[in-house]
Amino acid sequence: MVNSNADALGIIFPNSYDSLIPELVGERLMASIPFAGRYRMVDFVLSSMVNCGIDNVSLIVRRNYHSLMDHLGSGREWDLARKNGGLNIVPPFATKAVKVYNGRVEALASILEFLKSQKERYVVLADSNIAVNFDFGAFIDAHMASEADATIAYTESEIPESLLAAHENAKNLYYTLEIENGRVRKIKTNSTEPGIQNHSMNICIIGRERLIEMVGDAYVHGYVYLERDVLAPRLDELNVQAFQYDGYTARVTDMRSYFRENMKLLDEENLDALFSPNPIYTKIRDDNPTRYINGSRANNIMAADGCVIEGEVENSILFRGVRIGKGAKVKNCVLMQDTVVEEGAKLEYIISDKNVTITANKEIKGTDSFPVYVMKNQTV
Amino acid sequence: MAKEMIAMLLAGGQGSRLYALTQKLAKPAVPFGGKYRIIDFPLSNCVNSGIDTVGILTQYQPLVLNEYIGNGQPWDLDRLYGGVHVLPPYQQASGSDWYKGTANAIYQNLSFIERYNPQYVIILSGDQICKQDYSDFLRFHKERDAEFSVAVMEVPWEEAPRFGLMVADENDKITEFQEKPKNPKSNLASMGIYIFNWDILKKYLIEDEADPESENDFGNNIIPNLLRDERRMYAYHFDGYWKDVGTIPSLWEANMEVLDPEHSGIDLFDNTWKVYSRNSGMTGHRISGDAVVENSMITDGCRVEGHVKHSILFAGVRVEKGAVVEDAVVMGGTTIKAGAVVKHCIIAENVVIGENATVGEMPNGEENGVATIGFGVYVGDGAKVGPNAMIDKNVKDGEEAW
Repeated sequence: MVNSNADALGIIFPNSYDSLIPELVGERLMASIPFAGRYRMVDFVLSSMVNCGIDNVSLIVRRNYHSLMDHLGSGREWDLARKNGGLNIVPPFATKAVKVYNGRVEALASILEFLKSQKERYVVLADSNIAVNFDFGAFIDAHMASEADATIAYTESEIPESLLAAHENAKNLYYTLEIENGRVRKIKTNSTEPGIQNHSMNICIIGRERLIEMVGDAYVHGYVYLERDVLAPRLDELNVQAFQYDGYTARVTDMRSYFRENMKLLDEENLDALFSPNPIYTKIRDDNPTRYINGSRANNIMAADGCVIEGEVENSILFRGVRIGKGAKVKNCVLMQDTVVEEGAKLEYIISDKNVTITANKEIKGTDSFPVYVMKNQTV
Repeated sequence: MAKEMIAMLLAGGQGSRLYALTQKLAKPAVPFGGKYRIIDFPLSNCVNSGIDTVGILTQYQPLVLNEYIGNGQPWDLDRLYGGVHVLPPYQQASGSDWYKGTANAIYQNLSFIERYNPQYVIILSGDQICKQDYSDFLRFHKERDAEFSVAVMEVPWEEAPRFGLMVADENDKITEFQEKPKNPKSNLASMGIYIFNWDILKKYLIEDEADPESENDFGNNIIPNLLRDERRMYAYHFDGYWKDVGTIPSLWEANMEVLDPEHSGIDLFDNTWKVYSRNSGMTGHRISGDAVVENSMITDGCRVEGHVKHSILFAGVRVEKGAVVEDAVVMGGTTIKAGAVVKHCIIAENVVIGENATVGEMPNGEENGVATIGFGVYVGDGAKVGPNAMIDKNVKDGEEAW
């Protein structure tokens, strides 16, 4: 076989950290939250996998996954419509485990038979709440070179406030690593230590056979979380390596970080860092180019195709198909696809979800630390 | 299973009057309207009209076109039975032939049509910008019990001598055909779009091929022969937007008309009749803090720091600080460097316009033509490219090209 594909299959958990951002996941899940003008959160990790030759990717969904299925379709836009491997969406399977899974152990236990039948030597696990152009190639190479049992990617960063605030909530586990010469000595769950931490990206690679063994064993013992319950207690016997990622990351952990991470992309350095060297793929909508009509003013914005701009926009991210009427003023806003801002409306610090209409001459204002969110399909 | 109607799309045209733009690609592959190529229009019309089988006849510089069409998926034409097929001339046991004329191109692919055994065949042209519902044309064809129908547009009488004209009676029955006549008897210009009953098409193509004198052309040979035999021929009136973009000025003009859909009639924003295309997949475009954008269309991947006025920027165009782009069509991947002034022109893909260079419209007050810069050309820093210029080679720093 020609060596163009990675010897790894990918597994994505699209619902992780859903509950940190309840506003946006009312009718969707973390993976399908719109981000950066024309993408959904899952596009980043999924494209990253594809770009390094992982062409067998499963998404184990928990709930609210219609929007994700609609977005991914057959996986063709990510080049994952394949005879062998390709895209595989695994809905909850109710015969074995009647309740939906909570942690990775339970999720993986539901697809053990599938894992056994695959050929790839490694399994790469990831969440979808980080927008990152991740180099899985380097990650897999590092893991292979170290001959470790597992490798975990991390960033040196502070724990986001929203995670700290929720640290007593067992739903949103986050991990920090104590590292000695590249080897993980301790995995701390929901640590509240201040300052820069080795914050796990929850991107993890394990040998497939090894993973099957671990998960099978852990599941019969009633364990739920892979890192907390399986890896952390056995770090003496297991060689778990740490892989530092110092590229651009955008972690979505709550509404504020969602707003901030969108806004950060107005800086072209950040934009280039996130979208290169490899492209990020997404569902095609066949919009026409964006039209700026006479009298419009645009200042420091990023806009996707399909917008019609007649009013003024400043410091904002416009998703596909946004319309801004005459005399409308939009400042410091994130307007998701098909938002309509009618004539004379004034918006500041607003996050509008899909298909929102702001009727003529309305004024809505949020603040930098508290952007106002307008729900999907609402008319204000 | 037989298809009711399949389409044969003539896309072999060189488009020699587009010069620098068609050196390396066929005319139907010429980019248009920010993110499209000309061929997107007939292909999208087919799909939107319910036609799922399209043969594309290519000949001149087919590489870009072939790659662009691919498996037809962007137009939803990747089908199990039917779909889009690119049909280049090929070698046969009796020898190989280039397509001699439009009729010969179809003749050489009779076996392709035969596979689908359609009742009707629509012949389309790959070099027009037009949004048209072919199913309405077919309805007309069936209603009149026609054997051949042609789509026609009313043109101003003074322009009529430039077209192939259909003379029709009050029931739209065609009584006479005039090819670019001095004294027109009609102002109904043929759009080069025909519906044939399949049996009639086949019969006349075989007959035409057997005639050594024939130019194997629909306008010059097939239509006159149909008239001679008094076939049931009808003219279908079309009054929507239609533009043959065969020349640089008409291509430029059609692009500019996209900027004014309210008056020009070419509305790319109409969700009920979408025009599909292969997408660039680039991220949204950026308008910087000190940029000015007026009355323009801007596509994904663009970065604008300068002043863009009444222009169309295709995917991934960069306009640097202090650059001015006005009344211009700038195709994908082109960079306009700082301080450059680009006016009243068409700039092809992957061009670099150097710092403080000038392209187009300099002499004041006069009416000037459209300057054209070909694919991949480098126009050096401080260089000058005059109006009407047609540039297909690099222009060195500080040089002038007129």
